[in-house]
Amino acid sequence: MIHTFKKVLIVFLLPLCGLWFIGQGSYIHAKAVVAQLLLETAWTDTLSGNKEVKPWPWADTWPVARLSAPTLGISRIVLAGASGSSLAFGPGHLFGSTPPGENGNVVISGHRDTHFSFLENIKKGDHLELQSNKKTSAYEVTSIQIIDKTKVKAIPADSENKLILITCYPFDAIQSGGPLRYMITARFKHSFILS
Amino acid sequence: MSIYPLISNKLRSGPRLFFASTGLSLCFNLTMIALVLFNSIYAEANPIQQDDIIATDIVSNFDELGHGSLLFKHAKQYRKAAQLNIDVVMNITGMINRVSVTQSFSNTTDDWQEGVYVFPLPENAAVDHMRLRIGERIIEGQIKEKQEAKKVYQQAKKQGKQAALTEQERPNLFTTSVANIPPHETVKVEIEYQQIVDYDNGVFSLRFPMVVGPRYIPGKQHIDGFAGSGWALNTDEVTDAARITPPILPPGSQRKNKVSLKINLDAGLSLEKVHSPYHDIEVDKQAGHYEILLKQKTTLANRDFELIWQPHAGDEPKAALFTEEMNGDTYALIMLVPPIVKKAETLNREIIYVIDTSGSMGGQSIIQARAALELALTRLKPGDRFNVIQFNSFTSKLFNHAESVNAATLEQALIYVRSLEAGGGTEMATALHAALTNQSNDNSLRQIIFMTDGSIGNEQALFEIIQKELGHSRLFTVGIGSAPNSHFMRRAANFGRGTHTHIGKLDEVQTRMQNLFEKIENPILKDITIDWGQINSTAKNIAPNIESWPQKISDLYRGEPLLITAKAKQLPNEINISGEVAKENWSSKLTLNGGQTRQGISILWARNKIAALMEQKRDNEFESIKQLIIDTALEHHLVSKFTSLVAVDVTPVRPLDKNLDSHAIPTHLPVGWDHNKVFGQPFPATATNARLNFIIGILLILITSILILYLHGRRYLGSPIAPTVGVRNINPNPSS
Repeated sequence: MIHTFKKVLIVFLLPLCGLWFIGQGSYIHAKAVVAQLLLETAWTDTLSGNKEVKPWPWADTWPVARLSAPTLGISRIVLAGASGSSLAFGPGHLFGSTPPGENGNVVISGHRDTHFSFLENIKKGDHLELQSNKKTSAYEVTSIQIIDKTKVKAIPADSENKLILITCYPFDAIQSGGPLRYMITARFKHSFILS
Repeated sequence: MSIYPLISNKLRSGPRLFFASTGLSLCFNLTMIALVLFNSIYAEANPIQQDDIIATDIVSNFDELGHGSLLFKHAKQYRKAAQLNIDVVMNITGMINRVSVTQSFSNTTDDWQEGVYVFPLPENAAVDHMRLRIGERIIEGQIKEKQEAKKVYQQAKKQGKQAALTEQERPNLFTTSVANIPPHETVKVEIEYQQIVDYDNGVFSLRFPMVVGPRYIPGKQHIDGFAGSGWALNTDEVTDAARITPPILPPGSQRKNKVSLKINLDAGLSLEKVHSPYHDIEVDKQAGHYEILLKQKTTLANRDFELIWQPHAGDEPKAALFTEEMNGDTYALIMLVPPIVKKAETLNREIIYVIDTSGSMGGQSIIQARAALELALTRLKPGDRFNVIQFNSFTSKLFNHAESVNAATLEQALIYVRSLEAGGGTEMATALHAALTNQSNDNSLRQIIFMTDGSIGNEQALFEIIQKELGHSRLFTVGIGSAPNSHFMRRAANFGRGTHTHIGKLDEVQTRMQNLFEKIENPILKDITIDWGQINSTAKNIAPNIESWPQKISDLYRGEPLLITAKAKQLPNEINISGEVAKENWSSKLTLNGGQTRQGISILWARNKIAALMEQKRDNEFESIKQLIIDTALEHHLVSKFTSLVAVDVTPVRPLDKNLDSHAIPTHLPVGWDHNKVFGQPFPATATNARLNFIIGILLILITSILILYLHGRRYLGSPIAPTVGVRNINPNPSS
């Protein structure tokens, strides 16, 4: 009797639990990938003049920009707001900061293990591009810093035209919720209007 | 590979251990493989070369991020700012409260200092005096137009003279600046104001706010230098953001802004009880009046103080008249409590509950709001319709359209309400739009119950939305938390033709909401007009020129008194007040004889006039109304949006070769607020649990395999000889 119980436990329950966890992990990644695909369509719509295009009917966010790192061959659709629910689908533009395409301090954050994992490969002097519905702005990475959020309570909000990308640090930490943030600052270089 | 010999050495202790160890090492290897694998899903680019290691600087000093550019600074910055103590003395006679607030700025440094303090006052405070006290000397503040007062102050500051400036940022938000505080000395600024106390349902009360909750500043930032002392930059929607966002002390800070309170209460009638819901007080009953002190002598300036006094049942005043003669005019304050109509209207209602779930509502406030909302849901009756809207950075609705009340929808609403969490911005405009659009055209009563702490900087824009889109809806505000923006609560309810209440702690939810329900479920007195009659004056030259404020009288909810201030050459003997209640006409005659004379009725009248004019202010006639406000304020010595009080000492004290350090006085975070919910938002959580999930998953599967191996091992290797056989077969060559 005890043997049967143990067998059931070992042969079914434990692996099932394991599969469930793996499923959860895969779901996060799958969501991140699939959402970006759906967002491409919504972003195309936005570029053609529509405002606040919801990528799927129940979405509470919408694409506001496309962030690309041409040398790395990376392109991500940036969403409005950096709440947990929007970050699952793409990097999020922080509401308090300057909207993409305007003069000021644009702040975007993303998950270190999905959309913003590429930040690890960004170097000083790299080029970044931010396409808004008005124009595309080119930036050059000027500094890369690691910040302890318990010491620094907020992101600089000054007058310079720049782009700030934020993700969690260290990149390979297993648990989420650490205090360190990886912050890339890029200086505005020039912009070109969409044809 | 060294792990394997280790295993073979340990073999004598039993085969189980061997299998377990092998399994564990296998598990470890697999995990590493998995990590590498999942990492590469997103590494679309070439992996980074070892010698390209990124130069990263660890930022331990926030100043490296740009001086003066942070939204929030570290505690050590505030050590240099002047210490602040506040002494408040209130003299309440009947319905009028005269208050003196003394702010002592102590400079504990070796440098000359300027202190800038942003502080709240009651939203109906008429500030008419400011005095600068330097030791024994007193310099009386002069009322001047805002720009001029500023110029006078700046000049004095430059010349090294001691000076003080009191400016109004919002009707309930003021700034005191004190220039040239000598090293290790204290300079005092005494501000005086007058207000009408609240009277509702036979109970008197007053609120004295002590701290400005951090306000949410919507809109696009624009840089025009830091025109103020605050943590926020000015935006297109809040052009004075920097002036209304004083720095907030971080948790655990040693600085303390302390307040002492002394109240002389002469209610004019015998009282059943006097109490203060948020502070411990000592009440000393003297002949005919009460003396009230804080039990602890001082309290931290981190929440509203409230005093409530209640006459014996049946003794509640039903009408009152206070007058003052000044410069040949008579000023009057008239109070009348309309009788309570028992008949209830049985109209079906559509109720829209709106709840603020922004970061400032984190901590205690959201708990209070959820409890209040849950209670409100239980008041719904079959036949009513309802919806719940929450807002932070976004607005979202429970139902697309208001739904009828039934067990299923109520259940849905309760689950929704209980799961509400606070976090994010306070984009209130979209929530107001959502609550005010889709109004049906039927005759049902449409009521919006709006629960918020009002911690926003764009009040004016929101009032305009309410005015424009109100339709036949009525808006009721419920101010939540320890330091709500009372100006917003009162004005929004006023524009929304509703009424307001406050909830400051969980225990109050029941009583205060009950009071609100009674107001919104009972008929109101509306279309109130006052017939001032013909003045039966013998002098023909005197026209019936009575100027009363407010001119448009708000609807009165159950228990609320009518409060009118008037100015006349001569008051009529009798006035006739009429209105409509429960579809029936109502009127009442009031004899204006034998009122009590009180000082400062003219101030209250002028304050009412300015408040009413501020509401009328439109673009096309902006300049003429602004001038009218300035004239009234200058005549009555009142601080307003366009006038300030400034006091300047005659002789310069600061040697001009010494620098003047300017610091904003940091303020406390209101009690019950969650610092991280308000200021933590700029750093979002930027990692998922995907990796952790994978690892747990793989571990679980591996443990299974180990256990299976272990069971098998026991079955086949049960005999004492068997292990050697098994091991020989499995044990890898240690030297390989």
